Amino acid sequence: MQQPPSPLWTNASSRTRLTGTWRSAMPEYQDKPSPCRGACPVAGRIAEWVRQIELGDYYGAWLTLVDNNPFPAVAGRICHHPCEGACNRQQLDETVGICSLERFVGDMALAEGWCFPEPAAAQDQSVAIVGGGPAGLSAAYQLRRRGYRVVLFEERGQLGGLLRHGIPAYRLDKTILDGEIQRIIDLGVEVRLQSGIADAGALRALHAEYDALYLATGASRPKTLPELDYEQPWVQDGADFLAATNAGEACELGQRLVVIGGGSAAMDVARTARRLGRSVSVLALEPDALLPAQPIEVAEAREEGIEFITGAMLQAVESLGDGLKLQCVRVDFQQGETRGTFSVEPVSGSGFVLSADAVVPAIGQDADLARWDGLLDSDGPVVRTDAQWQTSRPGVFAGGDLASMDRFVTQAIGMGKMAAEAIARHADPLQPGAVAANGSEVPFAEINTDYHPLAGRLQPGNLEVEARLRTFDEVQHPLAQDEAIAEAARCFSCGTCIYCDNCYFYCPDMAIAKLEHGYDVKSDYCKGCGLCVAECPTGAISMGQE
Amino acid sequence: MELINYNDEELFQPGHVACAGCVEALSMRVILNTVGRDAVATVSPSCGAVICGAYPFSATKIPVFHTTLESGAASASGIKRALLSQGKPDTTVLCLAGDGGTYDIGLQALSSAAERNEDILYICFDNEGYMNTGGQKSSSTPLAAVTGSTPAGKTTRKKNLIEILAAHRIPLIATASPSHLNDMAAKVEKAKALRGTKVIIVLIPCLPGWGVADNAAVKTARLAVESGVFPLFEVEDGVHYTLNTEQRTQSVNSYLAQQGRYRHLSAEQVEQIQADVDAEWQRLLWCAAGR
Ligand SMILES: Cc1cc2nc3c(=O)[nH]c(=O)nc-3n(C[C@H](O)[C@H](O)[C@H](O)COP(=O)(O)OP(=O)(O)OC[C@H]3O[C@@H](n4cnc5c(N)ncnc54)[C@H](O)[C@@H]3O)c2cc1C
Ligand SMILES: Cc1ncc(C[n+]2csc(CCOP(=O)(O)OP(=O)(O)O)c2C)c(N)n1
Ligand code: SF4
Ligand code: SF4
Ligand code: SF4
Ligand SMILES: [Mg+2]
Repeated sequence: MQQPPSPLWTNASSRTRLTGTWRSAMPEYQDKPSPCRGACPVAGRIAEWVRQIELGDYYGAWLTLVDNNPFPAVAGRICHHPCEGACNRQQLDETVGICSLERFVGDMALAEGWCFPEPAAAQDQSVAIVGGGPAGLSAAYQLRRRGYRVVLFEERGQLGGLLRHGIPAYRLDKTILDGEIQRIIDLGVEVRLQSGIADAGALRALHAEYDALYLATGASRPKTLPELDYEQPWVQDGADFLAATNAGEACELGQRLVVIGGGSAAMDVARTARRLGRSVSVLALEPDALLPAQPIEVAEAREEGIEFITGAMLQAVESLGDGLKLQCVRVDFQQGETRGTFSVEPVSGSGFVLSADAVVPAIGQDADLARWDGLLDSDGPVVRTDAQWQTSRPGVFAGGDLASMDRFVTQAIGMGKMAAEAIARHADPLQPGAVAANGSEVPFAEINTDYHPLAGRLQPGNLEVEARLRTFDEVQHPLAQDEAIAEAARCFSCGTCIYCDNCYFYCPDMAIAKLEHGYDVKSDYCKGCGLCVAECPTGAISMGQE
Repeated sequence: MELINYNDEELFQPGHVACAGCVEALSMRVILNTVGRDAVATVSPSCGAVICGAYPFSATKIPVFHTTLESGAASASGIKRALLSQGKPDTTVLCLAGDGGTYDIGLQALSSAAERNEDILYICFDNEGYMNTGGQKSSSTPLAAVTGSTPAGKTTRKKNLIEILAAHRIPLIATASPSHLNDMAAKVEKAKALRGTKVIIVLIPCLPGWGVADNAAVKTARLAVESGVFPLFEVEDGVHYTLNTEQRTQSVNSYLAQQGRYRHLSAEQVEQIQADVDAEWQRLLWCAAGR
């Protein structure tokens, strides 16, 4: 028989006292979205894959990346990286170098020959994609991995769209592009090159053969300047100039070039021309501070010896025997209400003359909407689509530069992904929709920065200017492995649990239980102090209301 | 990020009645689990006594003997000697006390035990006042801090107990903070392996006593360490000083600003406290360099 406990000794465990009744709020594990993710055009799970890099799980990081974007090595080079502009860490010191980390993983995948996981079991439906640029390829990838039959029709002899014939090799080495495209094709996408879908009739006929169409033909028609006679041998449009150089053709233009335009395409034209040994001036309407190109592109162009004449406009060209005289005038440039709109007023008496041998206008491209006349409605300069990226013709979806003025590569990739999801739902309405991340984005104030010591960003270096002018080698160096790990360690992992156990150890009431994957709050004992929340380094827990 | 890595064997149990967010309970958790099962504790009247449990409840998985406020170290010494005569030399005897029970009312017993170098591990939970009885000042209360018995702010400095203890040349005196749990566990581990009198002073920002938010005691303790108000260091054999944090990264004001008990301070007073901390920090550096 058990002895009755001695009345002299404390014998009851405090466990019988349920201090959870003291509480007015209880912590909740939420795994909230990070602000970088919200700003990312492909909604990449950045906090997750950056953490995987930090832990040395590069393959895992790549799988997380390619869930939303099959082009990490491309995006890691040329994405305009709005994620970095939203990064919480810039409120402590500097933004995390997300883009260079993405390149690190993308390059490793190519070097190691990693392949996508096998596609899902074959579906009955088939989808035709028209246009093999980033939007079309992204949609093809997302549909193929879901098991659909995908046939891609491309007008040109090679895939890639502007990635191939627009963006110069010194920013995107073509072997990188080839590698990432080949991986998509290897998933079983059927590719028909030199197979343009010329007009509305051809599109209608195509639609009869497929369950759905995705249209991503880009914006291929250059905007033109009325002051220029495009028939002259000394005028070449920027898009043609870049396409020719990218195709390895010799440049026929003279020695002194004037590039017209202040955007990214103009920078690419100017810098390409420098590499071809030309002397180059850029003539832009905008004053320096308002140039639409990224500041880094302008800075690098200046380093390469390109002259900028900003806040000025071409009025007329005089062709003399030994060159051109460009009549120009200073302008008063006013930005409009909406992005891309502006007004210019010539400043009287400010005329000046530029001497040159050739003029290369690079002032933007329009989508060719006339092709689809009578079949698809348009919405101003682009094809009209609804929230599901479906055009006015049911079953025909569109995206990329054709359907949007957000003209960036990762925007096109993101649109391709969203359309693929919509097409899958169109094919099978029972498909689950995309899972929305829960809760609102983690603000900087929810990050306990005591766990994140100050550490400046690791910027990958650039090729020296002299070497840049001799070749088309990539300007930006990659991050070395130790640099990538160090840079990844700077990420706060906003809203994502890193299983650090801080919440478990900082609870004075032993009210956090460790589970196999994650944690649980023991409501019997949690007093609701919030120490676990305060000492969480990532903002993955918050106090809920009771 | 440095991960916390002591092993929690559940020697400290939930259901205790410490205030929500109390880092004395948090520190108790680290200390009991680091010392392990082969231990006996004494506890003087204090918040610690309440946390360990009032009869018939106990939050600890080791025996705890409640002593008078004067006699913590003497009682612990007696228990240690009894264990020795039972042939249990390896059982750790913990002596848990508040600052009132250490700096003031229990000082005589502690000094005597230290002079005899009794084999006990003495933990002072220093919340800088008599907090369990409603928040009166002790000789550990810092200059200018408001308590129930110093409503306009204390007019004298905090007693330097470490120097008093150092004069006894005991094997180890150390400071510890609930913001640095690995450091706390390492010091307990080290003290456990040494024979003789070991004293660890743990800074405990008291939520109601200091006017600190329920979720902010760890942060406040961290600021105390980072501002140099409460440096983490060790003194071996009364003479060898080792600083565990070699740099100050916060101003004293960032620490003071967390707390209601300093809300009334003028800019001059803050400057004076900063100057005191600077001078004490220089002295510590000097001590550490001379070892
Ligand atoms: C010079 C330049 C530099 C740029 N640099 C950057 C940069 O650094 N970062 C960035 O984010 N964005 C940049 N952009 C923008 C980016 O390239 C585009 O937003 C993006 O490529 C759009 O993708 P898309 O798939 O919609 O179209 P595209 O890339 O234009 O691809 C369209 C594809 O459709 C094919 N096609 C066209 N018509 C037909 C048809 N009728 N039938 C079949 N196929 C057809 C085309 O041949 C092409 O392959 C740059 C653009 C230019 C012009
Ligand atoms: C000789 C004596 N005087 C007064 C008391 C009443 N008393 C009980 S606990 C306590 C406060 C002790 O303060 P401290 O040691 O700092 O512990 P804290 O409550 O702050 O944790 C006092 C004054 C007592 N028990 N014995
Ligand atoms: S710190 Fe990391 S998770 Fe947070 S916004 Fe920046 S990149 Fe994203
Ligand atoms: S630290 Fe513990 S008691 Fe405090 S809120 Fe978190 S789970 Fe509850
Ligand atoms: S404290 Fe650490 S383990 Fe706990 S939720 Fe936050 S990240 Fe996850
Ligand atoms: Mg006290």
